[in-house]
Amino acid sequence: MTDHATEQPAPAELVLEQISKTYGQNRAIGDISATIPAGKVSVIVGPSGAGKTTLLRIITGLEEATSGRVLFDGEVVNGVPEGLAMVFQDYSRSLFPWMRVEDNVAFPLRRRASKAERTRRVAEALQAVGLDGKGRLYPWQMSGGMQQRVAIARALACQPRLLVMDEPYASVDAQTRAELEDLLLSIQAQLDITVLVVTHDIDESVYLADRIIVLSKPPSTVTEVIDVGLARPRDQITTKEEAEFVHARAHVLRLLRGTATPDDASDVRVA
Amino acid sequence: MTSMTHDESTAMPRARLPHRVGPLLKTGAIRLIVPMLLVFLWWLGSRSETNGLFIAPPLEVAQRVISDFLSSDPRHFFLGDVARGDLVPSLWRATLGFWLAVVVGVGLGIALGLQPVLAALFQPLVHLGRSLPTPALIGVFFLLFGTGDWPKVLLIAFGIVWPILFNTIDGVQSIGTARAHVASVFKISSWDVLTRIVLPGAAPKIFAGVRVALSLSLILMIISELQRSKNGLGNLLVSNQRNFDYPGFWSVLVALALIGIVLNVLLVQIERRVLAWHRGVTLQHD
Repeated sequence: MTDHATEQPAPAELVLEQISKTYGQNRAIGDISATIPAGKVSVIVGPSGAGKTTLLRIITGLEEATSGRVLFDGEVVNGVPEGLAMVFQDYSRSLFPWMRVEDNVAFPLRRRASKAERTRRVAEALQAVGLDGKGRLYPWQMSGGMQQRVAIARALACQPRLLVMDEPYASVDAQTRAELEDLLLSIQAQLDITVLVVTHDIDESVYLADRIIVLSKPPSTVTEVIDVGLARPRDQITTKEEAEFVHARAHVLRLLRGTATPDDASDVRVA
Repeated sequence: MTSMTHDESTAMPRARLPHRVGPLLKTGAIRLIVPMLLVFLWWLGSRSETNGLFIAPPLEVAQRVISDFLSSDPRHFFLGDVARGDLVPSLWRATLGFWLAVVVGVGLGIALGLQPVLAALFQPLVHLGRSLPTPALIGVFFLLFGTGDWPKVLLIAFGIVWPILFNTIDGVQSIGTARAHVASVFKISSWDVLTRIVLPGAAPKIFAGVRVALSLSLILMIISELQRSKNGLGNLLVSNQRNFDYPGFWSVLVALALIGIVLNVLLVQIERRVLAWHRGVTLQHD
């Protein structure tokens, strides 16, 4: 993995500046400003319908904001930024069932890297997600968790500077979910990439995040930005026993329910 | 392809079968029982005093098939006179019409499937074309394209393009927006989107259309040769009937049945290879 780490480009910083989005009469996003720091894991949580998916589409350049702008390493995003890769929620629809696993992972690299380079990167990416030797299989011959690993490998093969994940573990069981959370954290630590995860799972947001961005109901605004100081590497059992984890979790939940004001978070920030 | 060993016969429930049927099922011999029964009924019919005049006995028909359609001459590729004079021209026209329909149907289907505006514009025309009974247009095709091979080829193509066209549009639209998102986020080139996402994604539906088109093409092949034709199996069918050559008439029918079976087996084999992934996905969801 060492050579992989050395050629990995520097992580990107993402800045959202007063983003708003209106569909006709419907204001989906009110005003969102936030910084996704380079080389860290940031998590966006919000109640359902909070425009999380819309925000992701704006960040990935698939949709234009009504006002405001997105800066990818200081440059205004206009179309899908170079160096951004994405893991989608529904692996069964994001992977191509007519391609073998290795072809799925290599697909974004076609016309961008030589055959030898592609083969090497696919092997490295599959190894990074613990699927070495599975390249010849088809996605539908694998479990849901393994398929989502393929989707992560496909994103990693692009050597992204920013990895965006949209509810990545919403369609797998709890056990697999925990494994994939740990996989993401170990990959992020090894490769030093900026990771942005959107989730509605509060435990997951606290466990993964260096920074949590809590959104309000639509028209969404940032309710609060919480920096999580939990030590790394994190552990599914011991980290979740720590007082800060328990406090942060309760605080995010109160924010989402609207029964807490940002000021109550003082204990979280101190810890 | 390692996991593709699944076979339909093993998927059938085998519990509580009387044990004598077991070996019949395993070897597939059970499928031969009904055809054999039909041949037997055919033979009975040919023995009848009145119907026997029109129904040639199976053995005589089989001999005619062999003598008309096969030869021992390697210079003619072992094809008999009738095969060279009628079967080959018929199949040539059907093949040409078939491929013309596949190219036009899939090409147009992809364009209409990807562009909702185009689809809306051409929908009335497509529905009109589909609902016209093609055999009724045979006169029009002769008027427009003369009397050679072209009116027949184009009639076949026109008659069978609709199931391919409809299924391709449907198949393209079934691929979904999620895959389109993947393509744009990963900046897949339009050519790769077309050849590696749209075409394979629509392939299961396209094949369903092609299967219908294939059997339709044989029907239209015969119909197009029933009039103003110098050769072809359809023409032979009519002339044998007029000349009271009933063994010859029946031998053409048998040849047509055999062609139908061979073409279908070919298509199934191709489909198995091309759509192996689709069978896998379907089995997984069962």
